[in-house]
Amino acid sequence: MSTTADTNEPVLTGRGLVKRFGTTVALAGVDVAIGRTEAVAIMGPSGSGKSTLLHCLAGIMRPDSGEVHLLGQRIDTMGERGRSELRRTRFGFVFQFGQLLPELPADENVALPLMLGGVPRAKAVGEARRWFAPLGLDGLTARRPGELSGGQAQRVAIARALVTRPAVIFADEPTGALDQATGQETMRLLVEATKHNGASLVVVTHDPQVAAWCDRVLEMRDGRIIGSRYGTAAPSPQDPGHPAAPETTVRGRA
Amino acid sequence: MTGVLSLSWRLLRGAGRHGMLGTVLTAAAVTVSTALLLFTIAGNVAFLARADREAWRHPVEASGGAVAIQAVAQDFVEDEIITVVTIAPLDGAERSGVHPPGLTRMPRPGEVWLSPALAELARRLPDERLAGRFPGTVAGTIGDEALVHPDELVAVVGRAPDDPAVTRKPLYASSTVIGPTRVADFTGKHGEMLLGYRILTVIASVLMVVPLLVFGGAAARLTVARRDQRLAALRLVGATPGQVVLMTVAEAVIVAAGAAVLGLVLYVASMPLVARIELAGGPWFVSDLWPGLLPVAGVLLAVPLLVGVSAVAGLRRVVISPLGVAKRETPPGMRVIRLVALFAALAVVPLASRSTSVTVVAVVLALAFLALNLTGPWVVSVIGRITARVARGPAALLAGRRLVDDPRSAWRTIAGVALTGFIAGFTGLLTPSGGMLGSPSTTDLIVLAPAEQVRTVAGGARVRLARAGIEAKVRVSEPRADGRSRADVPQRARVIVELPETASTAQVDTARTALAGLVPGHVATSPMDEQRAAFILFADLRTGTLIVLAASFLVAIVSAGITASSSVLDRRQTYALLRLAGTPLEVLDRARRIETLVPLAVMGGGSLLAGMFCALPFVFATLSAGGAAILLVTIAVGFGGVIAADALSRPLLRAVTRNPAPRPD
Repeated sequence: MSTTADTNEPVLTGRGLVKRFGTTVALAGVDVAIGRTEAVAIMGPSGSGKSTLLHCLAGIMRPDSGEVHLLGQRIDTMGERGRSELRRTRFGFVFQFGQLLPELPADENVALPLMLGGVPRAKAVGEARRWFAPLGLDGLTARRPGELSGGQAQRVAIARALVTRPAVIFADEPTGALDQATGQETMRLLVEATKHNGASLVVVTHDPQVAAWCDRVLEMRDGRIIGSRYGTAAPSPQDPGHPAAPETTVRGRA
Repeated sequence: MTGVLSLSWRLLRGAGRHGMLGTVLTAAAVTVSTALLLFTIAGNVAFLARADREAWRHPVEASGGAVAIQAVAQDFVEDEIITVVTIAPLDGAERSGVHPPGLTRMPRPGEVWLSPALAELARRLPDERLAGRFPGTVAGTIGDEALVHPDELVAVVGRAPDDPAVTRKPLYASSTVIGPTRVADFTGKHGEMLLGYRILTVIASVLMVVPLLVFGGAAARLTVARRDQRLAALRLVGATPGQVVLMTVAEAVIVAAGAAVLGLVLYVASMPLVARIELAGGPWFVSDLWPGLLPVAGVLLAVPLLVGVSAVAGLRRVVISPLGVAKRETPPGMRVIRLVALFAALAVVPLASRSTSVTVVAVVLALAFLALNLTGPWVVSVIGRITARVARGPAALLAGRRLVDDPRSAWRTIAGVALTGFIAGFTGLLTPSGGMLGSPSTTDLIVLAPAEQVRTVAGGARVRLARAGIEAKVRVSEPRADGRSRADVPQRARVIVELPETASTAQVDTARTALAGLVPGHVATSPMDEQRAAFILFADLRTGTLIVLAASFLVAIVSAGITASSSVLDRRQTYALLRLAGTPLEVLDRARRIETLVPLAVMGGGSLLAGMFCALPFVFATLSAGGAAILLVTIAVGFGGVIAADALSRPLLRAVTRNPAPRPD
């Protein structure tokens, strides 16, 4: 079964993605398209292939067959170096935990991707600090990850993912290590900030409440997408009260 | 208790590939440490064994009834020293059953006993070069129990009690040339020379043991670091601090005990190789290098114990709070007091001098050494702060922050090499060059003679040389009371036999043989012969320095490799996630290099200077070419080794970051 988002201009598309690990088939022919500023959740039980799909879409893994395109450019055939650079410049990542370097203060953690891209340190740190207030991290620039709460650390990670102004943010269980309330708040900020910056979002999760924050939810089983629905459990992104509401309405419905 | 122990055994075995790797690294470290520790102990024991076997050649005057008259002299053949022991048995000697060690009975007048190496040489060389000096029947071979080393040249010459060789007062005496002495037995006493070697061995041991202990401690912490997360988890599910400590210690001790035994095997296996190292004139009996059952048992017990203690120290963090590991916080700054400790230790140094007792010197050295080790982390954290402040690129920034974050772990990586800098600095200054001794003549032979007989002796020399077909000029020095003259030494003069400067070793040996017995109890020696022992000592100092340096570097580089690998393992999750997010591995590698090499340059240089400073009171020459070479090679090997060790951990970094879904274990 294949599911394609009906958008004018998909940012990221995967076609016929197949991935095997030994005899295990992790992806059995998946088609997927992510629209501009669209937030897509990939759900499914353990072993359904959702993380593998994320890894293939993000250029972390190369599928055994199929194609991945970012804005029309094929990325699955690129070499390790090229994909690495792509991940650093065009994608942003938010993981469950442990992605911040414990030695660096928060602002330098956020500035790191910019510095890796060659931005001078002072400019990179200055740019990084601008992300703190909008994400509710006022006054925490000098804190080290160990001195931040789980929610704060995830918001720093969101800032780091967005600082390079990527096209797509990939989040793998971004709230997995957080309590319910903090998780909801983190998802709100993640979706809001991503859309606000014109980026698309792909979230892998098994938590329906997290998925509900997204525009579209893809259900996976045994390496296939078996269902696609629009997030309704949470306030609709169309609601005026929803934080992600402004300027992010360019989307068609199937 | 048993339950906890069996649980830790299961955890150890089920640690998974990464956990196993950590265990293997620790075991490797402990194995190398143990082997080197045994080597160090063996060095001390071996010199003692040599001194014991040589004691009979340092006769002690009998207080009561003597059984023999004994005299000791040195002769020379080719470039080797022959120890000639003259023994004249007195009445009833044979019935007393007393005999020199290595001989089956008391030698009789006219008999010669040769050591195996000397017997072989006497067979190989023409009689007029060597065998002619020992007239008489060869009665037997001197056994190993009377020889310092297997290649030693020793002759025991039996003479009658009224032979001039054992009745006349010696014209010259030293620690190796001993005039006729009436002895009641052949127990003797320890010689000065080997005592000197034992003192040098003690100093070398201190220089080697301190880094070994530091290394062993680092290795133990390494296991603990690996277990941090798991142990914190055990605490969270309610294990008591006592249980956690017991489990960790049990695990560390189990590994260390196995590794210590492996270290013993490694050492025993390398004993035949080690025995080939020539010191104090020759190689070793392999049996000399066995440290003895008790010391070995002690090491096998102490090593696991030390590792256990070190593990407990490393664990404190985890035990204090179950969240201690999960929460990473800004570590408290290092205190300047560490630097003060170093300067305090160094301040004592100028008070020392060459006459200071060895114990004091060893203690001061050990203190300076330990103080350096204490100062290391502080300096590293300062370097980190500076690096982080001036960093422009991500690699330098990362390196600087990491140094500030955990200066101790950064120090552990380089401590060995940096501390070896101390040893190099110390020994570099103390390495004398052979040039200091000049190049004494090998073709002038000097025979000491009683002043009033010097003309007769000179005449005799001319006749003997002519008969042997040796062309030489014989002249006589004026009798004089030179520096060596002592009240109990008769006035003497010298007969100088000048062979052509082109004379071959064979011709010189033939001349020596011709002159043998010319003055009873004395042999013809060249100025070079008189410096022979000094040359050997200097060569030994160089060999010793190289051994200490080689061992230190072995420890240092293995330790640098192990800590580099463990630091990769400890941070594998963050590294993997960074790599996923597109961070080039080169940046991480460069950060790791800066993190290692900058502190190494500062601390290695500092240790080198500290070592040179500590050597100042004992220096008897300016920096020699050999010493300078040692310093330069040290710096090159140190940096090269650490870079190589670091490079070896790069594939590991690649491997641990390849897994796209890293999970903590």
